[in-house]
Amino acid sequence: MTFADLVQYVATGLLVGGVYALMSIGLALIFGVMRVVNFAQGDFMMLGMYLTYFFAIGYQVDPLLGALITIPPFFALGLLVHRVLLVRVTGGGDPQREMDAQLILTLGLSLIITNATTMILSPMPRGIRTAYATQAFAAGPILVNQARAYAFLMALLLAAAVYVFLTRTDLGKALRAAADDPEAAGYQGINVRAMHGIAFGVGIGLVAAAGGLLATYHPIEPTVAVNFIVLMFVAVVLGGLGSIPGAFVGGLLIGLVQSLTLLVLPFQLQNVGVFIAFLLVLYLRPQGLFGQRMRSV
Amino acid sequence: MKATWVRLSGIIGAIALILGAAGGPVPLQPGPALAAEELKISLVAPLSGRWARQGQLKKMGAEMAIDEINSAGGIKALGGAKIVLREADAGDSVEKAVSAAQRVLSREKISAGIGSWLSSFTLGVTEVAERLQVPWFTLSYADTISERGFKYTFQSSPVSSLQAEQALDLILDLAKRNNQQIKKAALVGDNTAAIVFFFKPLREKLLKAKGIEIAVDEVWTPPLADATALVQKLRSAQPDIVFYGATNFPDSIQVLQKVKEFGLKVPFMGVGAWLVTPEYVQALGKELLDNIMSVTAAHPLKGQEELVDKFKKRTGEPFMTQDPLMTYYHVWLIKEAAERARSTDPKAIREAVTKLELTSGAAANALAPGRIRYDERGRRMWAAPIIVQWQGGEPFTIVPAELATRKPFWPAAK
Repeated sequence: MTFADLVQYVATGLLVGGVYALMSIGLALIFGVMRVVNFAQGDFMMLGMYLTYFFAIGYQVDPLLGALITIPPFFALGLLVHRVLLVRVTGGGDPQREMDAQLILTLGLSLIITNATTMILSPMPRGIRTAYATQAFAAGPILVNQARAYAFLMALLLAAAVYVFLTRTDLGKALRAAADDPEAAGYQGINVRAMHGIAFGVGIGLVAAAGGLLATYHPIEPTVAVNFIVLMFVAVVLGGLGSIPGAFVGGLLIGLVQSLTLLVLPFQLQNVGVFIAFLLVLYLRPQGLFGQRMRSV
Repeated sequence: MKATWVRLSGIIGAIALILGAAGGPVPLQPGPALAAEELKISLVAPLSGRWARQGQLKKMGAEMAIDEINSAGGIKALGGAKIVLREADAGDSVEKAVSAAQRVLSREKISAGIGSWLSSFTLGVTEVAERLQVPWFTLSYADTISERGFKYTFQSSPVSSLQAEQALDLILDLAKRNNQQIKKAALVGDNTAAIVFFFKPLREKLLKAKGIEIAVDEVWTPPLADATALVQKLRSAQPDIVFYGATNFPDSIQVLQKVKEFGLKVPFMGVGAWLVTPEYVQALGKELLDNIMSVTAAHPLKGQEELVDKFKKRTGEPFMTQDPLMTYYHVWLIKEAAERARSTDPKAIREAVTKLELTSGAAANALAPGRIRYDERGRRMWAAPIIVQWQGGEPFTIVPAELATRKPFWPAAK
């Protein structure tokens, strides 16, 4: 184990984590504002991968750009899903029953999306072939995969844009207000239901973009979500439920831990490191890294 | 994993209870064959979930054989009975596969069954078939499938442990004929059943017996987050050959991309037919795949050009591989058995298969060495692995030499 090896493991981990981070932000936003655990998040990511693929194959759009173009249609899709389905199970009513209904709805949505995609687009895996997927930036003995580096930078940019949107714009502030205290936000003239729709739209748009970035080096198949959905949830809980910066750091951490675990454990136990870190954080800081302590009853 | 077993044993227990209460396997007592009756074959394969593509390929092979048989007048001994396919989705778990088999076999009279691709699925599904006394044909590799004393299970692929042994001999011979020496080997793959059973004998005795050192031995649980560390190990160990078992497509793509990125030049020998599917060309391109080899149970041989052309034309697939070829073979085999049994009764068909010795016809021609017989354990005799190599964006049979469609090319190791 040389210093160069260590640097390589850290670099690899951060690059992998960057895309996890972007995936998780969308989930955190939806949970933070709406208090909905969206089990279909991974499936929207898969759809984002397919859309990027069709842009790339049909119109020769580079997937890095394609990932950006997927945001508006998926934002609209998110609004639609909220308007047609989610609105029926959020905002008002018995919270326990609502939560059950939300779980059933998003899980059902996930099953329908996966299976409809399998039926319509066939289960055959597809891939976007990019030159940079098999090329690396070399810094001495350290190799940094170009596709992953570009995807990482794009993920950083998008995350920064979300941060600016939430903290510097009126709409962003209204979103946060609706998240913090829906009732008080309502008294201030903020349309909480519309905020929910926007949060869901942005959350879906972001995860679709993360899918597009992932598609620069990862094959696309209808069941691709199962490889990522658990990691997304871990990232969100690790960072503190509903916290956007928390989810971002959580995603980065997961990539890093996955990579560094290999220094001490065999490949088979790669994700064991992630869950040990997860348990440790929950034990030492139950509210998550960036979470606020819940009032205890 | 544990939960899966608990659930599986629960299902099996429930089935056992139902059957026990009924005083034995009474459902499905087949009646006597009628003239021009249909012969129903069930295909239990994953048609949804992460292995759906394999199920789809299997179905293509079955449908092609059925069309051929039916358009040539069906089963003659049964007054031209047509073959009908009843497919059931094995999904993505053993319990789903078992309940699919249970459903399809108890709903109507099924004469024979095919499936279910993944060895763990096949182990479960054949239990149901055995209990309901329906002959079952499988391409799965695991040794255990034909080690349980089952009378209704027929395993057409060479079993994993034999594949490892025979494949190693074939590979060493191939290397020798290309003036290459193999001193260091790498074992790199995931921990799915077929790979584990293939690597185990290599790791424990076979390689040592040939004086080959194991330079890298890395096993992972799919999905692989990133292949950098793995390929880095290969690069620093410089093996003469890599035995490769990345059955999860995204994992495999990541590893092969990384091999290219690191400029690694070492022969890759895959373990199974998953490495020779058309989607690899689409995801990686021809050049990256060139010279990669794989050991499989079946692949189109010299003399099967017409069959392959026909398959390509009807399905739009760029080439034919183990999965459709094996189901194609199985349907034809069932047809031959039904001709001899003069019945659609599953027991009679099973009886006929055990006595069958074929040296001509579509079934015999589908698999090397062109002679079909099953031994008392239900294993296909003379079944031997085939080595396939990617050349110019298509996988060709390179071993056995007398049935090869291309000459092998051994990439010079650096």
